[in-house]
Amino acid sequence: MPTAILVRPDTDFIRTVLASGGGDLKKCFQCATCSTVCELSPEDGPFPRKQMIEAQWGLKDRLMKDPAIWLCHNCGRCTTYCPRGARPGDVLGALRREVIKGFAFPAFMGRMVSNPRMWPVVFLLPTLIFAAILLWAPKGPPTAELEFANAFPIPILEMLFFAVAGLVVAAFAVSIRRFVSAMRTPGSGGTTQGLLPALGLIATHERFAKCEGERSRYWGHFLTLWGFAGLAMVGTIVGIGTMFGVMRTPLPLLHPAKFFANLCGVVILTGLAMLFANRVGNPRNRGTSTYFDWFFLLTIGGVVITGVSSELLRLSQSSIMYPVYFVHLVLILALFLYVPYSKFAHLVYRTVAIAAVRAAESRVKSANVPMPESSGAG
Amino acid sequence: MAKRLAVYICSGCSIGETVDTSKLEKVATKECKVPVCRVHPYLCGAEGVQIIRQDLAADSTVDAVVIAGCSPRVKTEAFAFDPALVVERVNLREHVAWCQKPGDEDTQMLAEDYLRMGIVRAQKTEPPELLTEPVSKKLLVVGGGITGLTAALEAAAAGYEAVLVEREAQLGGFVSTLKKRFPSSPPYAAPVTDGVAEKIQSVLYNPKIQVLTSAKILKTEGQPGMFDVTVQTPAGETTVRVGAIVLATGWKPYDASRLSHLGYGLSPNVITNVELEKMAAQGRILRPSDRKLVQDVLFIQCAGSRDNDALPYCSSVCCMATLKHVDYIHEANPDARVYIVYKDIRTPGQYEQFYRIAQDNPLVFLTKGEVARVDRALEGRLGVTVRNTLLGEDLILNVDLVVLATGMVPSSADGEAIRVLEDAQAKAVKSETESQRAEAARKAEELKHHSGTQILNLQYRQGPDLPVLRDGFPDSHFVCFPYETRRTGIYAAGAVRAPMDSTRAEDDALGAAMKAIQSVELASGGLAVHPRTGDAYFPSFFLQRCTQCKRCTEECPFGALDEDAKGTPKPNPYRCRRCGVCLGACPERIVSFKNYSVDMIASMIKAVEVPDETEEKPRVLVLMCENDAYPALDIAGLRRLGHDPSVRVIPVRCLGSVNIVWIADALSRGIDGVMLIGCKYGDEYQCHYIKGSELANRRLENVKETLQRLQLEPERLQTTQLAINEWDRLPMLFNQFLERIRDMGPNPYKGF
Repeated sequence: MPTAILVRPDTDFIRTVLASGGGDLKKCFQCATCSTVCELSPEDGPFPRKQMIEAQWGLKDRLMKDPAIWLCHNCGRCTTYCPRGARPGDVLGALRREVIKGFAFPAFMGRMVSNPRMWPVVFLLPTLIFAAILLWAPKGPPTAELEFANAFPIPILEMLFFAVAGLVVAAFAVSIRRFVSAMRTPGSGGTTQGLLPALGLIATHERFAKCEGERSRYWGHFLTLWGFAGLAMVGTIVGIGTMFGVMRTPLPLLHPAKFFANLCGVVILTGLAMLFANRVGNPRNRGTSTYFDWFFLLTIGGVVITGVSSELLRLSQSSIMYPVYFVHLVLILALFLYVPYSKFAHLVYRTVAIAAVRAAESRVKSANVPMPESSGAG
Repeated sequence: MAKRLAVYICSGCSIGETVDTSKLEKVATKECKVPVCRVHPYLCGAEGVQIIRQDLAADSTVDAVVIAGCSPRVKTEAFAFDPALVVERVNLREHVAWCQKPGDEDTQMLAEDYLRMGIVRAQKTEPPELLTEPVSKKLLVVGGGITGLTAALEAAAAGYEAVLVEREAQLGGFVSTLKKRFPSSPPYAAPVTDGVAEKIQSVLYNPKIQVLTSAKILKTEGQPGMFDVTVQTPAGETTVRVGAIVLATGWKPYDASRLSHLGYGLSPNVITNVELEKMAAQGRILRPSDRKLVQDVLFIQCAGSRDNDALPYCSSVCCMATLKHVDYIHEANPDARVYIVYKDIRTPGQYEQFYRIAQDNPLVFLTKGEVARVDRALEGRLGVTVRNTLLGEDLILNVDLVVLATGMVPSSADGEAIRVLEDAQAKAVKSETESQRAEAARKAEELKHHSGTQILNLQYRQGPDLPVLRDGFPDSHFVCFPYETRRTGIYAAGAVRAPMDSTRAEDDALGAAMKAIQSVELASGGLAVHPRTGDAYFPSFFLQRCTQCKRCTEECPFGALDEDAKGTPKPNPYRCRRCGVCLGACPERIVSFKNYSVDMIASMIKAVEVPDETEEKPRVLVLMCENDAYPALDIAGLRRLGHDPSVRVIPVRCLGSVNIVWIADALSRGIDGVMLIGCKYGDEYQCHYIKGSELANRRLENVKETLQRLQLEPERLQTTQLAINEWDRLPMLFNQFLERIRDMGPNPYKGF
């Protein structure tokens, strides 16, 4: 007989999952229809049937380190077919939120960002920073044409964003390190060897494509991801370029970097519009979208819309460009500052989880040892 | 014996095209000397029936009518004449026209034999003598729980008086001890408090219902329509005469002392669901060892149920009870965690809604699993190890209270043991040798604890209580005849009949009350109850020739026959179900009905024309149970499935009514083989008379030995079990048997 484990349900965890998108969790009666209809569920270690009962029983520690919940791309097939109306897809979404919150460093940030009542505070911090810059930062002589630098001096912004980026990367690194070591079972290797194939899967959206039905969601996510990746890349290059004086913003429209950035802007705008339409247009998705979902989608959407508007207003030399750019900056800072604590964090959690599973799979193939499975609970 | 016959041959439904009806007419008039014989193309039509009626009106000396046409199972209304007139039906349609080659010589021979057999049968049948004793139409309801109360009220509502007997001082039974009942109507959301108080009031104020509480039945004598029941109450002994009895004595919880492997007895904190219910009814749910609030409670479902070493069945209520008990626990401590370990959650029908609602509670933790062990832990807690869980691992749960959801044992379950006990007690005194007496005394001592559990104290030769099925329930046939027991006029209802909840028990009470009323109404006309409903004939015993072998009194499936001191049977015709098992049992052949006797079937066998061995036309006699096998052959005919024309089918009441002399008669007449086709037997029996087909099989084994002594192959006899839905097997069974007979060659006794 294998050793039995002492179990004590974490009732607070159950209540949190019930309150944040997994409201039908307890309806599950373990028929495993969900695991059967899921296109992504692997034969060895299927999900989400087991995750459902673990969540019902409040086995938080097991779920926190279970990579399986990150293998789901939330197509909703399980929810559609669930005979009991337990909505496993939504439960997994709620569980992912709990993981992001649970591994957050510092922890209070995780609690703050995921709490709907805290949103004014969440946006207050970036607003105060940019208001301070607007009021007190030393500014150069005004240029002939209207430029954002007149209100928000570029060196200050660069300093601010690089500093924030550094902080965020450091804090996120702590979270991910905790997550990776939680996933690791004794005797297993690291996740690094699975990282490259995982990135390949994400880049191609190969797994996402297996999610049946919602092609608009697939394309929306695909365009958003690549549009964002392009903008992040070009933004970093231009940022470094200006810092070293190689470039000067605003760049002319025909400058390759500007052209590429605008192209990426169009791509991400299209993608986000599709995702937005999918969430609002489909009653099922509309009903189950949580604050956590909307916070991320609206912040990134706001960043793109205010960014494009700012550019257009600048080109038309309208002075409304300043307040719009102010909002743009606030949203950008909010987006980046809260990467490790908002749904944005899924970018890294999912990559790491897929990498861990891939690494384990390749070890199974080479050594023919059983798949590491989450074990032990508290 | 019927003397003047009228024979009517129908040539409709392709009978006329298959056989030569004029030759059949000749068989009747020339060979059998029947004075009236007519052929009509549509006998069941208004014109055909009118012809028969006119003939009967014109010639009042006709005392039997033979109708050769369709199966006796159809057109019964068209051919219903004066009850005193003998009507015999010859099945030329389903058994000949629809399954044989038209115009063939063998087909014609088959039809002619069937007609001869029918004519003989009619000749040997006499009109019934009616039973006319005065009967009581009052009902006795035993048990004042929800089932008994409902049965009494339903009987009263139908206009019948009832006597309600209750062991306890108060009416209400188990349901009245409950804190709450689980919901039985939409939305099935929360337990309800309405108990049985209202029903008790209705019973107490009903002028048609007499209530006897603190009562014990000392003895039950007599038969349907005239049961004399002696009841002891604090006021003294009283005897009531009733026509039928509804047994509604309910259930008792499974003996938890046999569940030590689930921790019962290990700690006061391991209790049963019934004990929890009692605790809730008296106050709050607290930990028995120290009266502290419970934080963690674990329910073990199917404790001693669905387990071949305990109760093999599902009691159907324990899951609902546990889901209700969750409420009790949260009333005492809203933060308590409740674990439920189950084999399957069984909440039949709409009760699923209650399960869904209970499941939504965040503090209820359900998993399939098996409890491997229960150990004492620190601070009065218990460590429960659960194997094979849905979590994929074995769990240990540390809890304050373990509740065993035990099942229901019918209160009738002791019946068999009491009979064995009483037999042993008698043997302990009467047996011949010292060792036999000692052995009987040892057995009596072993079973002593069953003493006093008698319910009806029947003064029947076959014991004081109802015979039971394998799980202790007194049903006689759980599929076809609910409520019926193996004692005619006694109907079981509620949890004593099958495990059930109180709502289903109320439905059950109505059903059993209706069956009891049906029984007294039939008894008042001297008629049989199910399955030969309305049969006015009953067996008579030619006792001068009785050798007191007691076979009939032992084998009667319904305990209809008592015995005098010497062992001579004392028939109780109102208890009789007319199966004829006594007729089959009797070696002296002294039992007969006026419409079914050893002589009658033997004469029918003799009426079969047996071609001599040079003709290579074998003959096989098939004795078929009239309940399932015979209708199955009708269905085969309806589906136009052909079979070998060498068979000659005689319907019998039950294979248990087959007297082995018929087999001897058939073989000595030169018939080449005999098939007996009847119902399935064993634990899942389908025999309408419980053990008839099993008895026949046993008797036939003895005959086979005799055959070997006569240099006849035992393979010339075959018994087959057939369910009514296996009609498609019948032609194959006939054909295969005939193939074997042809291989064996003709019966050497042909022509003697």
